[in-house]
Amino acid sequence: MSEKVEKNWLEWGVFGVSLVLVLGTLAYLVYEATTLGDQPPIIEAQLGAPQQQAGEFAVPVTLINRGDQTAAGVMVEVTLESNGAGAEIERGEFSVPFLPRGATREGRVSFRTDPRAGQLKARVLGYEQP
Amino acid sequence: MRSVNKSLQEYARGVAGGLLFSLPLLYTMEVWWLGVVAHPWRLSLYVLATFVLLLGYNRFVGLRRDSCFTEVAIDSIEEMGLGLLIAFVTLWVLGRITFDMTAGEIVGITVIEAMTVAIGVSVGTAQLGGGGDDDEGEGSAGGSGTDGAAADQQVTFGGQIVLACCGAVLFAANVAPTEEIIMIAGEISAWRVLALALLSLLSGALILYYIDFTGSQKFTQAVAHHGVLAGTVVTYAIALAVAALILWFFGRFDGQPLIGCLAQTVVLGVAAMLGAAAGRLLLQ
Repeated sequence: MSEKVEKNWLEWGVFGVSLVLVLGTLAYLVYEATTLGDQPPIIEAQLGAPQQQAGEFAVPVTLINRGDQTAAGVMVEVTLESNGAGAEIERGEFSVPFLPRGATREGRVSFRTDPRAGQLKARVLGYEQP
Repeated sequence: MRSVNKSLQEYARGVAGGLLFSLPLLYTMEVWWLGVVAHPWRLSLYVLATFVLLLGYNRFVGLRRDSCFTEVAIDSIEEMGLGLLIAFVTLWVLGRITFDMTAGEIVGITVIEAMTVAIGVSVGTAQLGGGGDDDEGEGSAGGSGTDGAAADQQVTFGGQIVLACCGAVLFAANVAPTEEIIMIAGEISAWRVLALALLSLLSGALILYYIDFTGSQKFTQAVAHHGVLAGTVVTYAIALAVAALILWFFGRFDGQPLIGCLAQTVVLGVAAMLGAAAGRLLLQ
């Protein structure tokens, strides 16, 4: 049966918006799929300035995944080492459930010692590749 | 041509259907994760597969069945667009989408949720309407899916298959992404898998042929010459295929041994069979 498609302005509007949404989504997915490499997660941990709160020192940590794949269950360890000998004074850790590629997540580690007394080092202990 | 009010009503019905059928998925955390993890090729394939299913549903049972292909395609695109929109807004309100996420994350989560919403929209538009389509103009040829007008209009065999697929997807998709399927399949014994398969076949046969389920008369009239056994087996085959496809889409087969995949398929097959049998009777 071939009859002419008759629609009112609302229907044309909804159709137009839908067409743009669907094509846009597909185009984006295809673009992503073609530009996506297969680099495993490359996780960079950046330390922020320590803030004193309630007798403790909170150190903000920013994680950025620069690889092409998502990392799950990312465990991060931050150690505070003494300036001279490099002996570990204190250690803190936290984990992030999901770190998609290109994404940034923030966490905080708290210390009892003033981190300015030594050197802070952040390290990614491990993660799962889902 | 329909009046603006009429089509507004139709869209609202679609939105209601979309939410009704997909809310369990929108509230499931495994699905959000999957949207982030899934490869873009898999997501695009998911979109295309859903689109084909929508075309089928709109062609055979939708609101304007038997209308020309352009109209069926337009309806399908509209339903998909509404699905994307509904999924996005709902997820945003739920706080699952925030604007400091990367574009890839936002698109991934929205797409993976939107496809079930789109099928819900399609079913809602066709099924949730009251009988009053007398004020529809000559624009709609097929009439709506409500009983009075459609009772004598039988769904063909191809239509039955599409319907069974839709029913199976709608019911199975809500359970498929949960960890429970993997857990059950991992711990189950071979005999229990067999028992589940038999249980699925039995429940399917009962629903389709014996308990006089809503709409089952229409179904048996359409395919009476196939017999109970053939009808049930075909329905179960569809249910298993749909279950396997959904599990694959949701990445449940990645790194699993063949027997694990099979066990998962049969476990999910129970839900898919209920959908393919009872669901399809309700959807037609």
